[in-house]
Amino acid sequence: MSVQIVMDRSGDTRHEFDVADPQALAQAEERFRELTGKGFRAVALSGDGNPGKLLRSFDSEVEQTLFIPQLQGG
Amino acid sequence: MERMRETLRALLRRALSERGRDTPGISDVLIEISHGSLQPRLGILFADGYRAWTTLSPSDCYDFCERHLAWDLERLHRVLLLEAHQVYSAMLETQRGPQRDAAAQPPRTLTERLQQLGAAIAQAWRPRWGNAFLTRVDRGLFAPDGYNAAEERGLRLLKENLNEAQLEQYQRHQYFDVIGGQTGRRYRIRYGRSMNIDQLDKRGRRICGWCFFPEGRLVAGDVMLAQKLALELFESDTIEVANRL
Repeated sequence: MSVQIVMDRSGDTRHEFDVADPQALAQAEERFRELTGKGFRAVALSGDGNPGKLLRSFDSEVEQTLFIPQLQGG
Repeated sequence: MERMRETLRALLRRALSERGRDTPGISDVLIEISHGSLQPRLGILFADGYRAWTTLSPSDCYDFCERHLAWDLERLHRVLLLEAHQVYSAMLETQRGPQRDAAAQPPRTLTERLQQLGAAIAQAWRPRWGNAFLTRVDRGLFAPDGYNAAEERGLRLLKENLNEAQLEQYQRHQYFDVIGGQTGRRYRIRYGRSMNIDQLDKRGRRICGWCFFPEGRLVAGDVMLAQKLALELFESDTIEVANRL
């Protein structure tokens, strides 16, 4: 199972999907497009705390994708 | 002088007098809204987890909000944090003068030595962030519904995505260091949601501060994780939107 983690006020919301399921995969890709379109950054988490990878497009091979809302200066 | 500034000054003065020479930076200001018959409270969270609190009178709050047009909690928090940093910097500067002279002379009498020892023991026993009782009291009484769970989820996500060294550093000091992915610069991310990043030189001395955070008033764990990943993976874009302090 892969998971998309979206940071939000509740801490985070997780969307798990099975890459073998074409419908779930399409939904995950759509979610990716929708969130990045809103300004979220998508990061492939490494799982061990080391720097992950910034994703420019949907990658079905990535197990954990974290979506970070747009950054602003304070 | 504005009464809220006076309140901040009194709160910080008290914290400084309790801490002696141990004066960590401010991580955050904490606002507890009034609850039943309880008055609103203002707290300062220091980088080492120490907190100092004071109650606020509704009229002082109103005057301050009016003066700064801060009618929502997010703006009020931001303005208060800025104000606290300004007041604290001025106080530290004033305090450092005499301390520099005093530091050059070790305590001579037995009384002075005992006072110093007592202060060190008191400091070591002071309740810290993470203390189970304080966590329950501080967060439970005033936190909005679901906030505690969100805060815990955010911290769990953060810890899952720190490397071994960062995790150890965070558990020990409530901060962790990050290396900028493009410049190799070293940043220190302290517990907090804003104004919590320092850029350090090779010897670990602070060069400047940076302020940036994700939109949406996220919990501290999420904010710190977003800051870490931003500096590691898209440092230049991040520094472009960040404010230098």
